[in-house]
Amino acid sequence: MNPSLSLLLLPPLIAGIVALVVRPYRRFVAWVSVVCAAVSFAASVALAVAVVQAGTPDDPVAVSTLWRVDALSALLAVCIAFVALLASALGPGLGGADEEDPARMRQFRIFTNAFASTMLVAVTIQNVALMWVAIEATTITSAMVIPLTRTKASVEASWKYLLICSVGIALAFAGTVLAYFDFVATAGEVPGALNWTVLRETARVLHPQLLQTAFAFVLIGYGTKAGLAPMHTWLPDAHSEAPSPVSAMMSGVLLAVAMYAIARWKAVVDAAVDPWFTNSLLLGFGLLSVTIGAFSLVIQRHYKRMLAYSSVEHMGLVAVGLALGPLGTFAALLHVVNHAVAKSMSFLLAGRILHRYDTTEIGGVTGLLRVMPWTGSLFAVGILALVGLPPFGLFVSEFLLIRAAIVTSRFWVAGVVLVLLLTVFVSLIAHLNRMLYGEMPSGVAIGETRSWPLVALALSVGVLIVLGVTLPQPISTLIAQSVRGVIR
Amino acid sequence: MVADPLSQLVMLGSSGMLLTALIVLWRKGIPAYVTAYRWQSWLLAAITATVGYYGHDPQLYWVAAVLLALKGIAIPALLRTMQRRFGAEREATPYVNTETSLAIAGVLVLFAYVIARPWMTITNLPTRQGLPLALALLFVSLLIVVSRKKAMTQVIGFLMLENAIALLAAVGTYGVPLLVEFGVFLDALMGFLVMQIFVYHIHETFDTIDVEALTRLRH
Repeated sequence: MNPSLSLLLLPPLIAGIVALVVRPYRRFVAWVSVVCAAVSFAASVALAVAVVQAGTPDDPVAVSTLWRVDALSALLAVCIAFVALLASALGPGLGGADEEDPARMRQFRIFTNAFASTMLVAVTIQNVALMWVAIEATTITSAMVIPLTRTKASVEASWKYLLICSVGIALAFAGTVLAYFDFVATAGEVPGALNWTVLRETARVLHPQLLQTAFAFVLIGYGTKAGLAPMHTWLPDAHSEAPSPVSAMMSGVLLAVAMYAIARWKAVVDAAVDPWFTNSLLLGFGLLSVTIGAFSLVIQRHYKRMLAYSSVEHMGLVAVGLALGPLGTFAALLHVVNHAVAKSMSFLLAGRILHRYDTTEIGGVTGLLRVMPWTGSLFAVGILALVGLPPFGLFVSEFLLIRAAIVTSRFWVAGVVLVLLLTVFVSLIAHLNRMLYGEMPSGVAIGETRSWPLVALALSVGVLIVLGVTLPQPISTLIAQSVRGVIR
Repeated sequence: MVADPLSQLVMLGSSGMLLTALIVLWRKGIPAYVTAYRWQSWLLAAITATVGYYGHDPQLYWVAAVLLALKGIAIPALLRTMQRRFGAEREATPYVNTETSLAIAGVLVLFAYVIARPWMTITNLPTRQGLPLALALLFVSLLIVVSRKKAMTQVIGFLMLENAIALLAAVGTYGVPLLVEFGVFLDALMGFLVMQIFVYHIHETFDTIDVEALTRLRH
C-alpha cells in the first residue's frame, strides 16, 4: 500500500480506536483525533500533489488490488480530510467552558472518526461493491452521532435518516448486483470484475438495456444518500438535528461522496449507452432538487434547516453540472469543493449561534452582529458565499455551470437555474437580514467566547476567496484531470 | 422444457421467500412477522447452498452457513427479544390497508416480471427463473417499509429487502465475490444492531414504536 494512502486512511481509524479504548473519556483523546485528522489531511494533499505531478488521468498514483487513487479520488479525499479536520478541531471535548457530558464526548469522538474513515475508504477503494459497503457504513456511523442529546426531534430525525438511507442505499446495491450479473453473463467470472476500471473497459460489450436498469437503481440509491429530490425528505431533519460538527461533515462532504459514486457509475454506463440517457436522468433529478431546495428556502423558519435545504439545492446544481458535458462536470466538481468549504463553515458557525441563543428559529436570533460580532460577520460571509456572490468560489462554479448549459445549447436549463438561483438569493438574504440586525433578545450574553475557532473558520473564508478570485493552477489541473478521468 | 432440479428448487425456494413477504402484508401481529422473516432467511440459505451444490462452487457453502447463522438464527433471536417488549403493539391500522396492500403487491410482482424479461434473454443460467421473483421480493419489501407504521415492521421490511438482494446475487451471478459478500454481511449486521438501538430509543422517548408519533419535524 502506498505510504501516503496509508497515512490518509489509518489515522482516523487509530483515533477512533483510541477513543473507543480510553474509558472514561479523557481530554487527550480529542487531541489525538485532531492530530490524526491533521496527518490525514496532509496525506490527502500529498496524494493530490502526486496525482497532479503524474499528469495523466489514466495513470493513478496508488494502485493495488484493492485501492486506486486517481484525480477524482484525490479531490474528494482532500475535501473530506479538510472538513473532518475542521470538525474535529472545533468539536466538543477539547477544553473550554462549554464542556458536555464525558460519555457524549466519547461517543462523538468514536463515531466521527469512524465516519471520516468510511468516507475516505469509499473514495479510494476501486471495487464498486466495496465502495457501496463503505458508503452504507457511513450511514450507520453517522446515524449514531445524530441523537447525542436525546431529544424527541433528534431521535425522530435519526430514525428517518437511518431507515430512508439504508433502504435507498440497498437499491444502489441491487443496481451494482445487476451490473455484475450482466458482466458475469457476458464475460464470465473474472477476478476484479467489480473494479471500476475493469467494469468501464468491459461496459461497451455489456447489454445497454440492463445497464440502464442498473443505473436507474444506482441513481435512486445513491441519490437518496446525496439528498436529490424527491428522495431528500430525511436530509433537512438529519442535518438540522445533528450536532454542528457532524452536520458540517454530512452536509459538506457526505453528500459529495454519494455524488462521487454516481459520477463513477455514470462513467461506466456512458461507455455502453448514449450519454443522453444518464444526462437526462441527472438533469431531471438535479433540476427538481434545485427547485425544491429553492422554494423550501423561501418558507424556512429555522436557520439550520435553511442550511440543510441549501444543501439540497447545491447537490441539485452538482447533478445538473454532471449532466452538462466536460465543462459542466468541471463546474460540478469545483462546486463540490466550494460547497464543502462554505457549508461546513456555515454549519459550525450555526452551532455557535445555537449555543448562545438556544433556539433554532430564525425569528429568535436577532441582533447577531451586536451579540457576537465576529461569528455574525463570518456567518454572513458564509451565507453570501452560499448564494453565489463574488468574490467567493461558488460564484465561479455557478457561472461555469450556466456557461456549460449555454455551450451545450440547453438554454432552458440555464434560464431555469438562473431564476431559481435568484429565488435562493432573495430568500437567504432576507433571512440573514433578520438574524444580523434588530433588537437583541434579553438574557443573551454579549461578546465572543472561545475565539480561536473563529480563526480557523476565517481560514475557510480565505480559501473561498482564493478559489473565487484566482482558482490556483494546481487545483484547476486536478479538477480538469478528474473530468478527463470520468469523461471520454 | 426439461425439468432441471436446480431450476425447480430455485423456483420453489424463491416463491417461498416471496410468500413469506406477503405474510407480513397480510398478518397484523409482530410475532408472525418475525417467524416469516426466519423462514425467509432459512429458504435463502437453502437456495444459496443448492446453487453452490449444482454450480460446483464450494464458496457458496460458506456464504450459506453465514447466512443461516446470521439471518436465520442470530437476527431472528434478537427480533424475538424486541418482540417480547413491543410485540403487544399490533399493526392495527397501517397506512395502506391489507386488501389494498395485497393488490398492490400483485401489481408489483407483475411489474417485476416485465422489468426482468429482457434479463432472461441474455443468460442461460438454470437459475434465471429466480430473477423476477427476487425483484418482486425487493419491491414487496419496499412496500412493507413504506406502508407500515410500527418501527419494528419497518426494520423487518428492511431485512427482507436485504434478503431480496442476496437472492438476486445468488441466482443471477452465483454469488458476488466473497470479500464483497462479507462486507455486506458486516454492514447488514451493524445496520440491524443500530436500528435495534433506535427502536429502543424511540420507545423510550415516545412510549410507542408507532412512527406516526414522529411528527415533530415538518418543513
